[in-house]
Amino acid sequence: MNDQRQLKILVADDTDTDRLILETIVRKEGHTVISASDGRQAVDLFISESPDMVLLDALMPIMDGFESARLIKLHAGDKFIPILFLTSLTDNESLVKCLDAGGDDFLSKPYSRIVLQAKIKSFNRMREMNATVMVQRDEIAKNNARLLQEQMVAKHVFDNVAHSGCLNSKNIRYFLSSLAVFNGDMLLAAMRPNGNMIVLLGDFTGHGLPAAIGAMPVASTFYGMIPKGFSMTDVLKEINNKLKHILPVGIFCCATMLDINFRKKKLTVWNGGLPAGFLYRLADHSIHPIKSTHLPLGVLSSRAFKDNCEEYDLANGDRLYLWSDGIHEARNIQGDMFGEAKLIDVFAQNTDPEKLFDDIISNVQAFIGDSEKDDDISLFEIRMADPQDVNEYAYETSVKKEGSAIAWDLSFEVKPSSFKVFDPLPILINVIMEIPSLRPYNASLYTILAELYTNALEHGVLGLDSAMKKSPDGFSEYYELRNQRIQMISEGFVKIHISYCTEDINGRLVIRIEDSGPGFDYQKKLGASLSTSGYSGRGIALMERMCESVRYIGKGNIAEVVFVWANDD
Amino acid sequence: MAITSSASPDGKQVTIFIQGRFDFSSHQDFRNAYERLNPTPSQYRVDLQGTSYLDSSALGMLLLLRDHAGGDQSNIQIVNCSQDVKKILAISNFEQLFEIY
Amino acid sequence: MDHLDQQALVTLKDVMEDDFALLINTFFQDSENRLKMLNSLIDSDNQDAIRRAAHSFKGSCSNVGAPLLASLCAVLEKKAVANDLDNIKQNIDVIKAEYEIVKALLLDL
Repeated sequence: MNDQRQLKILVADDTDTDRLILETIVRKEGHTVISASDGRQAVDLFISESPDMVLLDALMPIMDGFESARLIKLHAGDKFIPILFLTSLTDNESLVKCLDAGGDDFLSKPYSRIVLQAKIKSFNRMREMNATVMVQRDEIAKNNARLLQEQMVAKHVFDNVAHSGCLNSKNIRYFLSSLAVFNGDMLLAAMRPNGNMIVLLGDFTGHGLPAAIGAMPVASTFYGMIPKGFSMTDVLKEINNKLKHILPVGIFCCATMLDINFRKKKLTVWNGGLPAGFLYRLADHSIHPIKSTHLPLGVLSSRAFKDNCEEYDLANGDRLYLWSDGIHEARNIQGDMFGEAKLIDVFAQNTDPEKLFDDIISNVQAFIGDSEKDDDISLFEIRMADPQDVNEYAYETSVKKEGSAIAWDLSFEVKPSSFKVFDPLPILINVIMEIPSLRPYNASLYTILAELYTNALEHGVLGLDSAMKKSPDGFSEYYELRNQRIQMISEGFVKIHISYCTEDINGRLVIRIEDSGPGFDYQKKLGASLSTSGYSGRGIALMERMCESVRYIGKGNIAEVVFVWANDD
Repeated sequence: MAITSSASPDGKQVTIFIQGRFDFSSHQDFRNAYERLNPTPSQYRVDLQGTSYLDSSALGMLLLLRDHAGGDQSNIQIVNCSQDVKKILAISNFEQLFEIY
Repeated sequence: MDHLDQQALVTLKDVMEDDFALLINTFFQDSENRLKMLNSLIDSDNQDAIRRAAHSFKGSCSNVGAPLLASLCAVLEKKAVANDLDNIKQNIDVIKAEYEIVKALLLDL
């Protein structure tokens, strides 16, 4: 039964009789034979013929079997070429010598065809397996090299996107080991236009490339939104949405975000999934944990996302410490974890707050000791200070802030020719949305402007009576009439005037809209109860709820609302 | 780490038992325990009695189970949690998404 | 112990087929060379050479199915290993005698 491919087998034996028998047996097994009658010849033939297997007599003239075997194995290199020693040596010492010289097995004299057949089969299996392993090894090496290259590119992009922002401020110390970054840790910090600093410490699930990939949209969103004046909660919501949509289910980012106001000495915190940070108070050296109260970013839908934060009043010299779980889960040689208790200890033992940062790091590193594990440490410290002790930007903004106000006016008129095709609302809303502090009120302002414009256009310019809309039939009649009239209108106008003014504490938006219509008797209307549950009405009650005031001027063809908001600071 | 599961006689309730470390190496086995079940269970229990350690990829796997079980409509209990496991789940505020005992 | 192992010869014939005669002749040539070599080493004191020659001869004898001849070579090999080189002429003579018997029997096949 010959169920394998034909092999090329080298037979080396100095006794003609033995060699002849072996050659015949091997040929009968279906393989090709090359023969040598001394060790030197065996090695030469091995080099020139590259056989798949070697049958080698131990005792040969010129070069004995042991030396031949050594040379043959050397020439074979990575390839596994089985060498079977032909011997009637029976003492253990000689047999050991055979194996030491590189022999893989023995074939004893007298030769048995069955035994030789079995050994050829078995060693051929091994030889083929070894060849497969070599191919796979080379494949793996190639893949690894490619992966490393990809990672280097990713790291380059990552370093440029998730850069250090304002982490070099005078009141900040931080440490992110490269293993921590590899494990998905990320530290971002930027200055808001109002002089506050926003910091984000994030820890993505996963390691290496998958973790880094999540960090990039987070960093670009963060560094994109903050300088535009978006608030901490705006940014959190946006980041959460992005991660929820782009990351697969099960990948998320544990994070803590801070908003620090150096003028008002206030700290606002949101912690979703990171171990509790410590707030250290200089006055009594006490520590207060800043616990995780939220799910990590990227888990909840935008609807379910919670952005409520905690606020703290700080004094100069108070410090806030943030870390990912790398410190808590750092292991020593015995396999114990560092844990929060030891961290609390470090604070308790410390006598100089200036050294706290170093104390934490040195304690963790001492704990890890000589275990081969690299540091997986992310540590952030910020000290409450006056703006001039933070950085240039903080200082400049604080100087500007003293008694400063921003005010502007905007006028906009819609001419008759454009009524039927032009809707001014998107333009106006876009302008307003460029103002960072108004962004949270996007929806409300759109509603207010839409209500005012619709009233001005339909009731004022087109002269439609809102009472028509009281019944469902009347409703469709109304809109038919609206369509007709708007096609035909050739005179009239709607003027929109917006004035914006903001001070330190709050802002005011005054929206005045004037139409070319006859107006209405607002004194009478306002007296009666205006419900918004009916189809009709000017929606005045709705606007009254959203604005500080609503009033009509002149004939009733000028509506003015005042919208106020607290300046997020 | 070993993952086994058992179902109630009518197949409506499935309990998944996790032994040892619950980490990324459990990924495929964990999924096999709840995917393609017939009938589709209406309630899932994850029993962590034998679980010594939970890492963030395990949290991720729980989220995958939740997604599979209907997201906000899912009914998943995580039971027999040790103190350590409870702490990890608490930091991530997973009690907002799962019933934890 | 027999001069010839019939079973082994049958197997050998089976393997060698038409080359059986060639093999036997090769054996005769080998053996005669081997014996010549041994004779030349009688007074040499060359322990190693004697050992090797005896060893090799033993091998080919066992392959060809001549167990008694093989064991006589083994005896000589042992003596050489032990550096007991007295009277090896006697060993060689005995080997030669046995060889002649084996040769005759093989030629009869």
